[in-house]
Amino acid sequence: MAVSAGTFVRLKLRLMVNGMRGRPSRVALFVLGAVMAGFFAIAGYALFAIPGVAGDERVAGLMLQLGGAALVVGWLLLPLIFFGVDESLDPARFALFPLRRRTLITGLFAAALAGLPALSTLAATAGMVNTVADLGGALAAMVQLVGILGGLLVCVAVSRAVTSAFATALRSRRSRDLAVVLFAVLAALLGPLQLALLAGAERADWNAFAVLADVLGWTPLAAPYAMGMDVVEGRLWAVPLRLLIVAATIAGLLRWWGATLESAMVGTEGGRRAGSNEEITSPTGLLLGRRLPRTRFGALVARESRYWWRETRRRAALITFTVAGLFLPLSLTVSGGPAGPMTVFVGAIAAIALANQFGYEGSAYAANLTAGVPGRVEIHSRATAHALFVLPLLLLVAVVVGAVSARPERIAGDLGLLLATYGVGLGFVLPMSVRAAYPLPESTSPFAVSSGGGMAKGLLTIAVMIGTLVATAPLQILAYTLGGVWLWIGLPAGAAFGCAGYLIGSAVAADWLDRRSPELLAAVTAS
Amino acid sequence: MTVPAPREGDQAAAMSLRGLVKRFDTKLAVSEVSLEVPAGSFYGLLGPNGAGKTTTLSMAVGLLRPDAGQAVLLGSDVWADPAAAKARLGVLPDGVRLFDRLTGPELLAYHGLLRGMEAATVDQRARELLDVLELGPGNRTLVVDYSAGMRKKIGLACALLHAPRLLVLDEPFEAVDPVSAARIRDILQRYVAGGGTVIFSSHVMEVVERLCSHVAILSDGVLRLHGTLDAVRGDRSLEEVFVQVVGGRVSTGSELAWL
Repeated sequence: MAVSAGTFVRLKLRLMVNGMRGRPSRVALFVLGAVMAGFFAIAGYALFAIPGVAGDERVAGLMLQLGGAALVVGWLLLPLIFFGVDESLDPARFALFPLRRRTLITGLFAAALAGLPALSTLAATAGMVNTVADLGGALAAMVQLVGILGGLLVCVAVSRAVTSAFATALRSRRSRDLAVVLFAVLAALLGPLQLALLAGAERADWNAFAVLADVLGWTPLAAPYAMGMDVVEGRLWAVPLRLLIVAATIAGLLRWWGATLESAMVGTEGGRRAGSNEEITSPTGLLLGRRLPRTRFGALVARESRYWWRETRRRAALITFTVAGLFLPLSLTVSGGPAGPMTVFVGAIAAIALANQFGYEGSAYAANLTAGVPGRVEIHSRATAHALFVLPLLLLVAVVVGAVSARPERIAGDLGLLLATYGVGLGFVLPMSVRAAYPLPESTSPFAVSSGGGMAKGLLTIAVMIGTLVATAPLQILAYTLGGVWLWIGLPAGAAFGCAGYLIGSAVAADWLDRRSPELLAAVTAS
Repeated sequence: MTVPAPREGDQAAAMSLRGLVKRFDTKLAVSEVSLEVPAGSFYGLLGPNGAGKTTTLSMAVGLLRPDAGQAVLLGSDVWADPAAAKARLGVLPDGVRLFDRLTGPELLAYHGLLRGMEAATVDQRARELLDVLELGPGNRTLVVDYSAGMRKKIGLACALLHAPRLLVLDEPFEAVDPVSAARIRDILQRYVAGGGTVIFSSHVMEVVERLCSHVAILSDGVLRLHGTLDAVRGDRSLEEVFVQVVGGRVSTGSELAWL
């Protein structure tokens, strides 16, 4: 059998090129992605090369280990939260080919390595080789080169294994709650780490950092990046040990990935409801429940809210928002900072779930188009269904943050800020969802995006955050300067501000939708 | 077969396409298609894969904006006055997802309410449709878990729910088992007998020959032949006419000798 890893790599590159053919917008996205990757690579290289140029071994040890660990954590978390995974090679497509699992895993792994993120990570970490060469000569540089290659493999393997496992967990409805808990624990682990870093930085306690770095150096997070300094500092015995850690980590991650991949390929979906002919209740009653009005608006809201629960992508977005929304402000308040600025982030993250709202169901939107749903009804109903889930969560965030920071009087004001950012965020996101819609692949993984899609998603996210930040800046300043008065007027003022933002944005979106709905359908239909 | 008199107007066309053009990048997918579908006719749109059937029908019902041309449904231009044109139109698109995270009854209720129907009417008609199409009125399976044939049937039920006067069906018989296909044929024939108009695409000659009063043959985006079934096929079989018009190649017996 002549199926080598190269076959997979060529297939992926071919898919990438074909995906861009005749689509200038995708070419532009790719170029932008390449520019950003290049920027990251150069900045990273410079940063990692500084200690070598300065000739400081202590800083070098610190920088290489902490920076390397940050890279691995980044590869672990960023695909889950922001960018998604480029699944142009959907594992399910290979289910019918006579491929052994080992061949498939190596092939997919090699294909995952052939991408801009992996290339730019490699280029950035090459700065470490530079540093080590400056400090310890050729042998140390060779060892560090092996180290950064191993590090790259760890990065890619960890991101693939974790997203695949998370996707498998989310697919089965029964283990969905387990996945929430796992992710929450993961996020919770970030808190103490951040606290330790902040505490260390405040006291400028370099020893604390050095200890942390040395501990990390013996974990898979930083082990690959610590090898070169071992040679420089004369600890040759440590190199094989670290190599062993790296190799075992990669092997373990690939094995884990292989296990979850298999279940993704056969598409086992545990906990699905079997068809049962129960007693007949009225179809409209089944759709709308008791309270929703028996109108077009009611039907749209009912369908949307069902989708937030029943569709894996949307469920993943809600879960990510809940976890991020609770832990980010919490970790900041615990460390003593003000929660105010963080509310911008939370409100914006909530709204971003709607940035590609038409992409979620893809061509199914044709039904609404054939029924001639007016843009206004369509936009308002979608926002209403989303708000049904998000508003209680925002209240929860405000209450929890107020309780943990032991300042319950701030709850109303914080909720006002949250409402303002959510409303303004929607104001930005809704028009964007009409004009910047893109198709999502019909994959079983909620994190899958088509080639170039990850870039689009990340860009939209950043644009919305910056927009929301700028638009709500006056309110933030007011909250800060008014102090005690804000505690009283914060809630009504924030709610009014958010409402205004939402109304302006939804009016623009509705108008655009009325004029461009066939184009929108074409944009979200996967070609 | 006598074509029943349409309920309104006299010889007004139920669907009238004038010079529709669609270009994807550099490829001309549909080139100057003009077609009159008389009210009360059972119209079959034939063509090989990739001929432009779906593209033409999508432009006709307002799902895809044409580069040039006009589509008039029941007297209203679908691009100038979409609300009026779509009000009495039922569509079963092909290759388009349904809102498949709903159960069958939920999906029908959704479609009915989107069309502005009364809840009581929706319930009564939805139950009847689910029963007639053997989808089980109390079935709580999500549509995403339906078989391909069941999905076609629930799509058809959604298209019929608001009692349209014009039905546009893209490949309604694909992946449907013979029993269900017979049921669908029966429903459609009764619908046409009652004064409705059906236009559907297919590449199965037998179905078209059995059902249609009119036929059009499309290939490479160009309308090759159209008219009543008898006028198009003359004294030959429809399949012969089709293969000749489309220009299919005849096996010489020497290819695939290794097989």
